[in-house]
Amino acid sequence: MELRGFKNRNVSPGYIFFEGEPKPLTSWEQFKRFLSRAVKGELFVGLWIVLREMIRFDIHTLQYPMEKLKMGPRYRAIHKLLRLFDSGSERCIGCGLCEKICISNCIKMDTKVDEKSRKLVTQYSINFGRCIFCGYCAEVCPELAIVHGSSYEHASEQRASFGLKEDMLTPLDKFKANKQKEFPGFGALSKDADKFVKKTPLAY
Amino acid sequence: MIETALIVETVVKAIIALAVIAGMAGFATFIERKVLAFMQRRLGPMHVGPYGLLQLAADGIKLFTKEDIIPQNVVKPIFMIAPVIAAASAFVAIAAVPYFPEFTVFGYTIHPIISDINVGLLFIMGAASVGMYAPLLAGLSSHNKWSLLGGARAVIQLLSFEVVSGLSILGPVMMIGSLSLINMNDYQIGGVANWLIWKQPLAFVLFAIAGFAETNRTPFDLIEFEAEIVSGYATEYSGMRWGLFFIGEYANMITISVLVSIIFLGGYNDIWIIPGAIAMLIKVSLWIFLFLWVRAAWPHVRPDQLMWVCWKVLMPLALINVLITGIVLV
Amino acid sequence: MFEAIAFYMFSILVIGMFLIVVFSKNALYSMSALAGGMIFISGFFFLLDADFLGVVQIIVYTGAIMAVYAFGMMFFDTTRDVKENIRFKKIIYTLSTLSAIFVIFILLAPVYSGKIEALYPSIQGVGNIQMIGLILFTKYLVPFELAAIMLLAAMISGIVLVKIKMEETPTDIEVAKGEK
Ligand code: SF4
Ligand code: SF4
Repeated sequence: MELRGFKNRNVSPGYIFFEGEPKPLTSWEQFKRFLSRAVKGELFVGLWIVLREMIRFDIHTLQYPMEKLKMGPRYRAIHKLLRLFDSGSERCIGCGLCEKICISNCIKMDTKVDEKSRKLVTQYSINFGRCIFCGYCAEVCPELAIVHGSSYEHASEQRASFGLKEDMLTPLDKFKANKQKEFPGFGALSKDADKFVKKTPLAY
Repeated sequence: MIETALIVETVVKAIIALAVIAGMAGFATFIERKVLAFMQRRLGPMHVGPYGLLQLAADGIKLFTKEDIIPQNVVKPIFMIAPVIAAASAFVAIAAVPYFPEFTVFGYTIHPIISDINVGLLFIMGAASVGMYAPLLAGLSSHNKWSLLGGARAVIQLLSFEVVSGLSILGPVMMIGSLSLINMNDYQIGGVANWLIWKQPLAFVLFAIAGFAETNRTPFDLIEFEAEIVSGYATEYSGMRWGLFFIGEYANMITISVLVSIIFLGGYNDIWIIPGAIAMLIKVSLWIFLFLWVRAAWPHVRPDQLMWVCWKVLMPLALINVLITGIVLV
Repeated sequence: MFEAIAFYMFSILVIGMFLIVVFSKNALYSMSALAGGMIFISGFFFLLDADFLGVVQIIVYTGAIMAVYAFGMMFFDTTRDVKENIRFKKIIYTLSTLSAIFVIFILLAPVYSGKIEALYPSIQGVGNIQMIGLILFTKYLVPFELAAIMLLAAMISGIVLVKIKMEETPTDIEVAKGEK
């Protein structure tokens, strides 16, 4: 019964397999093991470690309502709809990709052709009761219009609280005050993206 | 007349001891949460009162005002009486414990012991072993598999530790020639060198281990070990009945700490310039800290391991200790 | 005064407890009442100033009845009533009543005739524990030692009997059999 052949999924060399201590066979060996375990003082090592931590007083608690954790850029919380930095108009072009890719089918949008014969997004909503915060919508969006925010306090009085277009779209006054931040996380261009731009091979 | 005075004095002492020990037991829960938190790099309760000090009151209010739920299908009288046994036996045990040296108030000498019976030590151990009925009855009457397992483990635990605690204490008793805790204390008058721990180190270790088993503290808290049997015997309990179990456990902890301090660590005799009462307080606090410390650091043992270690290792060691003590004394 | 009150209180408690032991159909009630009765009996020892015996009564019987509980736990569903199946009711009731009367007669006869004498009247100034020691190690030395040896033998054989090998866990055995 060797399972190791199956279990070895190309782990890096130097991976140590531990099969447990060899089982003592005779009573004398058992007694020796008992003695070594009892006298070795491993128990006291444990005692010392916890005491050391207590003396160091290196507390890692975050007292939540008073202090809040700063979420990393890749954290996927309630969505935001961003505006274009130049004109302040909505970034969303109504392509519908996000609606299409959403695996829990919770994005609903409605578009129409406006008087300038451009596509206008009239309705955009995410049902956060169903959203699993997978991040596909942000990743697929060609305009980086729908992105994840970092607010993780999702308690609200109504189900639809965060999910309408008005809630998610950066309000104009906030935008004018230069408060809209570019989204650095999921689906955004990396900082060194320029390096990877290559010439289109025109030889074809 | 004298009899009336005695009765009044005893009642007053009993009430004071009850209130103080119950209060200390409550406070010990707070200390426990704090110490465990610090050892695990947490802060523990912080929000209720300064540094969470009033958490105690909050917990008390919560426990007292909760609905007293008695589930369907339990054996009602036994289910209701089990927590009372836990608390009562713990508080009966403190009747024979002397805490401080005697002192004089308004020309009236007070012995801080409720009743100085001359078999005090045995009495305390008897009360403690009656206390093990509480988890057993709770487990059997709860109509719940986890509780039943907890009750079964309580039997195992009692049958394991009782032998060790009884035999380990025999050595000191043989040396002192009395079962009264006051005599034990007086035997060790005169500084640290006279402490019994130097003469009976083996008995000290054995008694400490048995004490951990007796109070269901961590290495041996198998009767309510969450990872294996949810909450053991207390699974079906809530509110004040659960609180009584809790108070009983902490009162037991205090009693055991006092016992160890008196029997092995010189009792309430003065050390150097530290007066006896304060020395006693320090010793008891250190022991309670040890209980918490061990809880933070050590893993649990299995029931079969407890039985194994008690009957096959500790009991022979205790017997050898008794034998050696006997040889040395003769 | 107090002694009389305490005596009657404890008597009522003890008798009540043992009545429950006999009449209750629930194993849990019976066992708990047995434990309670045994503990209340120690009250009499305390009343007679025999502290040591009283405490020993508590310690010994808590352990002993704990073992009874263990058996009860294994044999019954302790939260349900036990269905008793008595076939020869008349014989059982007659015999038990007769034996009860007999025991009462045996115990009361010497009291009634007033011929009770302490074989070892307690010596003034000698403590309870010391008296027990004196008697145990003089008159009853042989039975005492025999009982001690018997208990020791029982203890050692118990330890030997429970020495089960736990070298292999059930999983190991299954794996070895090729079931996993
Ligand atoms: S993928 Fe982006 S641009 Fe396209 S509809 Fe969705 S949010 Fe608008
Ligand atoms: S995060 Fe995933 S589930 Fe939520 S709206 Fe976007 S694609 Fe749908």
